[in-house]
Amino acid sequence: MFDRILLATSATEACDHAARVAFNMAERYKSYLNIFHVLGLPTRAYSQDVIDVKTRERVTADEEYVAWVKEEIRGYYERLLEKTGDNYGIEVAVGSPHREILRAARNNDPDLVVMGGSTGHMEDSSYKKTTAGSTFQRVAKAAHCPVLVVTRPAASFWGGFSRIVLGTDFSEASDVAFEYALQLARALDCELFLFHAVDVSAMAMGKVMAQDDIEEKLRVARRRMRSRYVPKMPDFESYTMDAWEGLPYVEITKYAREKQADLIIMAHHAKRDASGQAPMGSTMEQVIVRAACPVLSINRSVKK
Amino acid sequence: MPEGTLCNKQPVDTEEQLKALLADKGGQIYYEEMKHLDVDVEMLRQTLGKSLKSRLRTWLSMCARCGMCADSCFFYRINDRDPKQVPAYKIQSTLGEIVRKNGNVDNAFMHMAMETAWAKCTCCNRCAMYCPHGIDVGVMISYLRGLLYQQGFVPWEMKVGAGMHRVYRAQMDVTPEDFVDTFEWMVEEYEEDYPGLNVPVDKDDADILYTVNAREVKHYPEDLAEAAILFNIAGENWTVPSKGWELTSLAMFAGDWEACRLQVESVYDAMDRLKPKRMVGTECGHAHRATVVEGPYWAGRPDGLPPVESIHYVEWVAEALRTGKLKIDPEKRIKEPVTIQDSCNYIRNHGLRDVTREIMSYIVEPGYFIDMAPNGEHNYCCGGGGGFNGIGLYRPQRNKALITKRDQIMHTGASLVIAPCHNCWDAIRDLEEEYQIGIRWSFLKPLLIDMVVVPEHMKPKE
Repeated sequence: MFDRILLATSATEACDHAARVAFNMAERYKSYLNIFHVLGLPTRAYSQDVIDVKTRERVTADEEYVAWVKEEIRGYYERLLEKTGDNYGIEVAVGSPHREILRAARNNDPDLVVMGGSTGHMEDSSYKKTTAGSTFQRVAKAAHCPVLVVTRPAASFWGGFSRIVLGTDFSEASDVAFEYALQLARALDCELFLFHAVDVSAMAMGKVMAQDDIEEKLRVARRRMRSRYVPKMPDFESYTMDAWEGLPYVEITKYAREKQADLIIMAHHAKRDASGQAPMGSTMEQVIVRAACPVLSINRSVKK
Repeated sequence: MPEGTLCNKQPVDTEEQLKALLADKGGQIYYEEMKHLDVDVEMLRQTLGKSLKSRLRTWLSMCARCGMCADSCFFYRINDRDPKQVPAYKIQSTLGEIVRKNGNVDNAFMHMAMETAWAKCTCCNRCAMYCPHGIDVGVMISYLRGLLYQQGFVPWEMKVGAGMHRVYRAQMDVTPEDFVDTFEWMVEEYEEDYPGLNVPVDKDDADILYTVNAREVKHYPEDLAEAAILFNIAGENWTVPSKGWELTSLAMFAGDWEACRLQVESVYDAMDRLKPKRMVGTECGHAHRATVVEGPYWAGRPDGLPPVESIHYVEWVAEALRTGKLKIDPEKRIKEPVTIQDSCNYIRNHGLRDVTREIMSYIVEPGYFIDMAPNGEHNYCCGGGGGFNGIGLYRPQRNKALITKRDQIMHTGASLVIAPCHNCWDAIRDLEEEYQIGIRWSFLKPLLIDMVVVPEHMKPKE
């Protein structure tokens, strides 16, 4: 499942949790780990000058500098690199981070992209802590492979996949996510928890719902889960299905915690807003910044 | 005659030479070598004899030094009205001197002329509108750049840029394979959102041949996707050429006349090969000037026109909105104070002022569009035109030059600046980085994508 992992990293603290997970996975699944770093976009037309991620200084991204950056990255991950042996490579690119990560994902065809949270240079830190970062948004939208994001330290103390929560909203994208979750659960012998949250907030429903309505919705959701997913896993038994009511991101986070999940899988919805990002405050966004385990994002174009 | 290994009179013609030049960090060795570069007086005389024609000779001699051009120049205004920034002074003290001395100038003079040509003029041609004799200093500075380039006195990035065009027929190291592959990649990425999206490559007899800026391919391929989406939504019969897709010309900024011709001929070859009805170029100002306005003369075309009718992206957008090929959802029109940057190269120098205003009337909620003052053909350069954005040696001067545009934008009170020109877009991005006035800036395409009505057959099923 994980022959090739692409770790997109700023090689700073912001990506430490993601890096730890990526290295652990590479060790456990004997994956080739491609450590990928983007220097940033040239600061002026047709020049090679970029802003260094760490120092925020203007530097010339020539061969010498790239070699130095690679050495810095090797140094930064020195201890973690013991886990991979020689089975790794370091790549450095110049450009917009999301674009270059997508380019690398297209060229190297990894089984998984691992990313951290926001790099933390945004001025508005309260904003930053409640969203998952625009680079992740853009990569998750377009990548043809699953994207694993790890933003919290709690999510990185992790020993392998054994309990997977799939959050579904019954969309086509969720079906793709289900297929992947099932495949992963089979390959790694995991327990699979299929979960749907009925959004009962007045904002979503346009009114305060009667309890009978809520319970009816929960019954419908359970029926839908059974009819949609059970026929697709005839020879797979270690699954559980649940539907809870509430604010979806809260319920998914709570559910994952209660089930001691070590992975949450969700579908990334392809719609963009003006900034090229999925709508802020979407369920996935919120789960990512709150979950105590890594979150795997799957969009409709992920290869089965 | 000490010619440097990097700084010399030879153009860059091979990938190897290009790499050697690029390996010289920021042009350190290059500029050191330039200090010892000799002027080939004989060559300069011969070039003057062959290329300095009556128009420029007349302009030089009839200039009355009246100073009417002074206030028209944003460099003069932001540099404490320094007399040395008066356009007439800038050209008389450089090209004028070269002519008067019949080419008998030295290294120090050429250094001064280089700084004048690339750091004191963006060839925006604004001064020509205020000269009582109609003298166009921008045109003369462009000519001066040609003389300087030939002698090897050209900023490092300009030599690199011209070399790129010579080697790749593009302003960056993007090959035809890279170009086609990137376009296909973008279709892969967006076809989920826009079913049926496609990019026809090398299609014969299309209605539209679309040409781009290599930077889009290299760093902002979303722009290619957006162009494809909008052509598809509009139902256009369009294509891109696998060769001859680069609309821009850093060779023009550099004064490399030979490379200018090579570059524009590659686009005209694509027109001859594919026989489209029209060419539409991307949102770039200088590229329009190079390929549509000046290019025909470089290529020696007797009618002074490209092989097929060639229009700027704003002309296509205005037409598509006017004819209903693109329909705007009124709910999604821009509802924040917004202004537009008039690119010198197709507004002042190619008369498209009303076209961009027409676009605003469709995409901005009435009452939210605020014009800069002055505007239209009287607008000031963004501050980074003519190659100025790209030259590291003159970065401090460039940053200062952005002040005019910064103040113009601030006076409008706009929070969004639409800049349908790569150079303007870069300059406005840089001025926000430098001065942090709290604006956003955008090309037209991403704005249109968010407000255009998508026909049923192009909506995702889900």
